[in-house]
Amino acid sequence: MADELTTDIITKIKAHAEPGGEEITSATELTALGIHSLELTEIIFDLEEDYGIEIEMNTVDAWANLKNVGDIVEAVRALIAKKA
Amino acid sequence: MRNRVVITGLGGICGLGTDAAAIWSAMRAGRSAIGEMTNSNLHQIKVKTGCEIKALPDHGIPHKQIVSMDRFSLLAVIAAREAMRQSGLVAGDAETYRMGAVIGVGICGWEAIEENYRAILLEGRNRAGIFTVPKVMPGAPAGQVSMDLGLRGPVFGVTSACSSANHAIASAVDQIRLGRADVMVAGGTDAPLAWGILKGWEALRVLAPDTCRPFSADRQGLVLGEGAGMAVLESYEHATARGAVILGEIAGVGFSGDASDIVAPTIEGPEAAMRACLADAGFNPGDVDYLNAHGTGTKANDQIETAAIKRVFADHAKKLSVSSTKSMHAHCLGASGALEMIACVMAIREGIVPPTANYREPDPDCDLDVTPNVARERPVRTALSNAFAFGGTNAVLAFKAV
Repeated sequence: MADELTTDIITKIKAHAEPGGEEITSATELTALGIHSLELTEIIFDLEEDYGIEIEMNTVDAWANLKNVGDIVEAVRALIAKKA
Repeated sequence: MRNRVVITGLGGICGLGTDAAAIWSAMRAGRSAIGEMTNSNLHQIKVKTGCEIKALPDHGIPHKQIVSMDRFSLLAVIAAREAMRQSGLVAGDAETYRMGAVIGVGICGWEAIEENYRAILLEGRNRAGIFTVPKVMPGAPAGQVSMDLGLRGPVFGVTSACSSANHAIASAVDQIRLGRADVMVAGGTDAPLAWGILKGWEALRVLAPDTCRPFSADRQGLVLGEGAGMAVLESYEHATARGAVILGEIAGVGFSGDASDIVAPTIEGPEAAMRACLADAGFNPGDVDYLNAHGTGTKANDQIETAAIKRVFADHAKKLSVSSTKSMHAHCLGASGALEMIACVMAIREGIVPPTANYREPDPDCDLDVTPNVARERPVRTALSNAFAFGGTNAVLAFKAV
């Protein structure tokens, strides 16, 4: 069962994905989303504003460290925890 | 003996239509697509007249690619796909490094600029869109077309304001003449119907309030339009070896610089470019049947262009059919020369000179046969296409039947 943060992030990703694609879960590989790599990076940076966190990553690092949707969720979760 | 360069595919999109056949059919009919701009929010702009593409065709370009493109790149890709389809070529593994793209751009991708300054300065957003840089850059359309069609040879953008497309096509011709490529996609694109750009043009006070009336005594200026035009250029040997249908030949190109004023044109600059083009093509003035004029509809351009044509063609100037198709597709800046290439190639193929639409009153300073309002049937063996620009960057192309 996906928690609130996961559901929220998947909803944001869905808004950018091709309509009618496969269901997106934590296990979905980022390369399988059909989203341009820069667009996905922008989704991650949008989360900064939404959650009041600062993601200290440049675009290249963002891609090197994140493989699937769950990785994004866990990265954001860690930053929120750090802030609290 | 240099490589001959032929045209094996054409593509286009502008207010007149969303493919080259529709554009040509409207040109033949003398139908102007200039009218009120309604597509986007133009905020406070006095002049509401432009030449919009009211709806894009069903292009099938994937979302992932679309998000990385500003409108001028999207138009370029749509037109390039059409030209490539007509040529029958597919970039295969063996040939892909012998195929390239040179695309003229007069301005840049402005949608991203417009969205960002509004979002940051008016709405208080603190970050620009992540695609801003790759969307805006004037080399983007060439890159996007190369990615879309798998072209891995010479790929670059060319810019010289209103003559960008002619410079781009000429530069693509050079790649083939020099043996760097066998096939080049070449043309131009621009999507300038955005607030920031129109505001700049409004300040220059050269925009016509009603419509574009080139060479007509009551002309009031130019009208801006959006669009893209593309051709697949190919060496004659390459085209004949694969049995391609050859639509026409680019017989020559001619350049010049006015070296005079950033906006005011000279007679000598255009004259020199036309002469250089005739020499490069091996044409005598009397060989030219049709001249697609730069013909912007401004007082200065049309008068000066007429004078330059008379100097180059002397007695033949009055026998020449002249027209400005900008009266129909408006001035699409970086795309203009490419749309006018469609007019020239099709005029040669069908023996029909497209007219200067919206023409009302003869002007003694523009006393050539400007083909007013109605297309004219006549054999067209060869055609010249003029493009002049702010900066005095003149480029003329010569076309002939094969």
